[in-house]
Amino acid sequence: MKRFFMDTKKFSQYLVYATKSELKSEVANSRLSWLWWILDPLLFMLVYTFISLIVFQKGMPYFPVFVFIGLTIWNFFNKTVQTSVKLVKINSAIVSKIYVPKYIFIMKQMLINGFKMCISFILVFFLMLIYRVPLDWRFIYVVPLLATLFVVTFGVSTIMLHIGVFIDDLSNVVSVLLRLLFYMSGVFYSIENSGIPDPFGTLIQTMNPIACIMQGMRNALLYGEDFHFIAIGCWFVGGIFISLIGVNIIYKNENSYVKVM
Amino acid sequence: MEYAIDVENVSITYKCVKSRSIKKSLFSFKKSDVQLVEAVRDVSFRIPQGEIVGIVGKNGSGKSTMLRAIAGIFTPDSGTIDLHGHSISLLAIGVGFQKALTGRENIMLTGTLLGFSEKYMFEKMDEIIEFAELGKFIDMPVKTYSSGMFSKLSFSITANLKTDIMLVDEVLSVGDAKFKKKSYEKMKELISDEKRTVVIVSHNMDTLKKLCSRIIWLHDGELKMYGEVQKVLDAYIEFMDK
Repeated sequence: MKRFFMDTKKFSQYLVYATKSELKSEVANSRLSWLWWILDPLLFMLVYTFISLIVFQKGMPYFPVFVFIGLTIWNFFNKTVQTSVKLVKINSAIVSKIYVPKYIFIMKQMLINGFKMCISFILVFFLMLIYRVPLDWRFIYVVPLLATLFVVTFGVSTIMLHIGVFIDDLSNVVSVLLRLLFYMSGVFYSIENSGIPDPFGTLIQTMNPIACIMQGMRNALLYGEDFHFIAIGCWFVGGIFISLIGVNIIYKNENSYVKVM
Repeated sequence: MEYAIDVENVSITYKCVKSRSIKKSLFSFKKSDVQLVEAVRDVSFRIPQGEIVGIVGKNGSGKSTMLRAIAGIFTPDSGTIDLHGHSISLLAIGVGFQKALTGRENIMLTGTLLGFSEKYMFEKMDEIIEFAELGKFIDMPVKTYSSGMFSKLSFSITANLKTDIMLVDEVLSVGDAKFKKKSYEKMKELISDEKRTVVIVSHNMDTLKKLCSRIIWLHDGELKMYGEVQKVLDAYIEFMDK
């Protein structure tokens, strides 16, 4: 535990600098550059809104904002977990020359995706203005909800990073699982109003941390309602627990990662 | 005498755990087709502070493995390595460069990765850039560099970021003749600091003779000889000529 905080502090400057330069190189490499950080979620929001409203004729109040919030959270989780599988391989040049606690790479990924999420949230705010969503004091719930999202994402990623070193095609499996999770998280529909028969509906809603966080976020920002305190609380503690296990596994095994490559 | 590096009974085994596919993990009943390769076997030596030690040995005799273990990149399977709290850096060609970023940004990245502060790096930046002699290339992405420029940059980064112990892996012969001479002078300057300990892996007998105060000879992962430069090198050359 102590070592974790010491190491994180030691590499914090690297983290900040690496994140900055990675974002910069992303901008430098594409024509529309930073506009993509806005366009990407915006366009996907249009796609899902179209499918739900026109094709399935199901909607919620403030539906585009509803979808946008879902996508924002989903993108953060999805991208971080998806890349974590290959992180050691991507960074093999560093790993084989300098000692770095390997979870630092996950943190870097979370900072990068977190930055994009911030931009998305600014857009959410503008969309809320456009749709004249009444602002409730519950918007401060965003803080505990995001904290839960961070620990859960970090925990899952540490374990994926470890297994990903030893199993080559894990990323295929992970993409399928993530896709399943995507549809079970209610990114573009409301699980409660979807007509899933009850024991299953509630189960999907509470057993899936992403669905839980998403619903909480929408309640807090759009509908002025509370989130599921018990479920989020459990997932927060669970996330910390998984992170602890993951960091421990990485510390124990990271020195043999180099030998595999 | 104060010691900078204590290596005691170190053995390192590569398990050749090839990363495998899920199908193989599920359907192959042979569970242990793990090949063991002993890269370093029961090696012990102590390096006093301020000494310049060369490591020689034929290809695949465990020299680079030894260096990486000392640098803490992987832990030995048995035995211990004690650095007595000294800071350490491994100088090898192309330390974790990000190809899409410019040389300047890569200097920053490598520096902070080695644990130096951003402020310190800003101070050192000009010195490193000047030494590397890359001209306008310093603000171009690293992927546009030639291999010589690549190693020049990595040499000047590590040579200008001073740590207590420096491990040098066959990079003294980088760049053109002029840069070679310059890096050799730089090495000598670094070495002249009495507190700095340097370990060099090289095949260049000349360099070793001029720079080092002791030589370690590794053969097939075992310590064959450790001692005075002339004695060990003579024995080594004789052995290799056979």
